[in-house]
Amino acid sequence: MRRDALALIAGLIFLSPVLYSIWMSFQTSDAYYTGGMEFTIDNYVRAIGQFGFARYLLNSVIVSGVVTLAGLMVAVMAAFAFARFSFRGGNLLFGAVVATLMIPSHISLIPNYLTLAKAGLLDSYAGLILPAVANGFAAFFLRQYIRGIPVALDEAAYMDGATPLQVLWRVIVPIARPAILSMGLFIFIGEWNNYIWPLIATGDKDLYTLQVGLARLYRINPGEGFLDWPLIMAASTITLLPVLAGFLLVERHLVRGITMGAVK
Amino acid sequence: MPRLTPYLLVAPLIAFIAVFTYIPIVTSLDLSFREWDFLSPEKPWVGLANYRQLFASHSFWQAVWVTAVFVVISVPIRLGLALAVANLLLRETRGSRILRAALFLPSVTSTVSIAVVFSWVFATDVGLANAALEAVGLPRLRWLQDPTLALAVIIIVNTWKQLGYDIIIYIAGLQAIPTELYDAASVDGGRRFHVFRRVTVPLVMPTTYFLLVVSVIEAFQIFAIVDVMTHGGPAGATNMLVVELYKIGFSLFDIGQGSALAVLLFVLLVALAIFKARVLGRRVHYEA
Repeated sequence: MRRDALALIAGLIFLSPVLYSIWMSFQTSDAYYTGGMEFTIDNYVRAIGQFGFARYLLNSVIVSGVVTLAGLMVAVMAAFAFARFSFRGGNLLFGAVVATLMIPSHISLIPNYLTLAKAGLLDSYAGLILPAVANGFAAFFLRQYIRGIPVALDEAAYMDGATPLQVLWRVIVPIARPAILSMGLFIFIGEWNNYIWPLIATGDKDLYTLQVGLARLYRINPGEGFLDWPLIMAASTITLLPVLAGFLLVERHLVRGITMGAVK
Repeated sequence: MPRLTPYLLVAPLIAFIAVFTYIPIVTSLDLSFREWDFLSPEKPWVGLANYRQLFASHSFWQAVWVTAVFVVISVPIRLGLALAVANLLLRETRGSRILRAALFLPSVTSTVSIAVVFSWVFATDVGLANAALEAVGLPRLRWLQDPTLALAVIIIVNTWKQLGYDIIIYIAGLQAIPTELYDAASVDGGRRFHVFRRVTVPLVMPTTYFLLVVSVIEAFQIFAIVDVMTHGGPAGATNMLVVELYKIGFSLFDIGQGSALAVLLFVLLVALAIFKARVLGRRVHYEA
C-alpha cells in the first residue's frame, strides 16, 4: 500500500508541469501575476471566442478523424490482400509498403508541398489529409494479425457464395476488431499531434489545426509585453486534453500494440 | 475468383505511398541538382552546386554539430534512465501500473503543448525552474537565452517526453528474461546492483540495440520542440538539421539547397534504418 502511494506521488510529480498548466488555465491573469487565486473559465472563453480555438479544434477533429477512417480502410484492404492472396508482384509490393517504415518523413516535405500547390490543395482539408492517409505500419501490423485468423473461416464464407469484399467485411473485420481499433488509435493520436505538415500546408488561419494554432498563439504573445500564460495554458489544455482523455480510456490496448511492434 | 481482386485491394495504399512517399524521394534528388525559388518558371540544372553551397555554409555545419551533440548526449541519458526505471517497475503491482501510465502519458501528448508548458517552466521571470532555484537561494538562470542552457533544456524536455516509451519497451524486454537466471544469480549471493550489471544489462542488450537505433533516428528528426521553444536560437545554439531544412526550404524558399539537405539526411537515416533491420534485427529476435 505504501509503495502504491509512493508510486502515485512520483507519477504526479513527474506530470506536475502539465497538471499545473491545467490548473493555471483556470486562473485569472491578474491573480496569476499577483500570486492570488481566483477561479475563472474566462481563459477558455477567450481562447475559443477571440483566438479561434473553436475553429482549430474543429479542424483537428475533422483532419484526424478523416485520416483515421481513410487510413484504416486503405490499410485493412491492403492487409487482407497481402495476408490472403498470393499474386504476381505481391511480395514486392508488400516489401515496398514495409520499407516506408524506414523512410524518414522529412524527405517528402518539399515535394509534397509542390505537389499540393500544383493541385491547388494547399490551405484545404484535402491538403492536410491526403499525405497522411497511407500508413505502412498499420498495413503491416494488420496483415500479420489477419494471417493469424484461420483460413477455414474465409473458405466457409466463399462456399456460401460470398465475394472477397464480403469475406473481408463480414468475416475478417469483426475478428480483427481489436487490432483495427488499436491501429485506429495510433493513427488518430499521431495525426492529432502532427505539427510540421500542417505548419507547412496551411497559411490561412481558418485551416490551422490545434498544434499550429497553439504554436502561433504562443509566438504572437497576446499579452502585450508580458505573456498571458493563463490564456496560453487554456489553449494548450484544449490541445492536449482530448488525446489524454482518450489515452486514459484505452491505455492497455495501446501499450500492448506498441510493445507488439517492437519486441517479438 | 477474379485475378484482379488482390490488385484492386492494394491499389489505394500503393497509390498513396507512390505519390506521397516514393515519388518525392526521386523529386527531392532531382531538385537537389537544380536552382529554384519556387516561383520562377525556370529550374536550371546546377549539378552539385547546392551541395557545395551547403558544405560552405556556416549554419549547415552548426546544425550538424548541434544535432550530433544532441544525439550523443540525449540518447544515452534516455536509455540509461529508462532501463533503471523499467527495472524498478518490473513487478505487476498497482503502484507500478500507475507509475508506468504516468510516465508513458507524455509520449502520446501533443509535442507542441509540452513545448509550450516547458517554455513556462523555464521562463526567466515566472518559471517553475527559477522559482525552485530561488527557493534554495541560488540565482535565476536565463534558461532559453543562454546557448548552452537552451540546448540542455531541449534535451531535458525531449527526454521527459520520450522516456515512457523507452520504459515500456524495456519492460517488455526485461520480462522476456527467464527468472531462473535471476534466481541463480541471487543464490550465488549476488547483490542487487551486481545482478543488475551482470545479468540484466547483458541479457536486455537486444532491446537496448533496438531502442538505440530507434531513438537515434528519431533524435535526428527533432523539430516541434525546438521550433516552439527556441526557434533554433539563441544564435543557432539549438539549430538542428530538420529545423535548418524548414528554414532553407520554407522561409528562404531555396528549394534546391533544401532538397540537397533533405537528401543528405535521408541517406544517413536510411543507412541507420537498414543497419537496424539487417544487423540488429537478428539480434533482437534471437532470444524472444
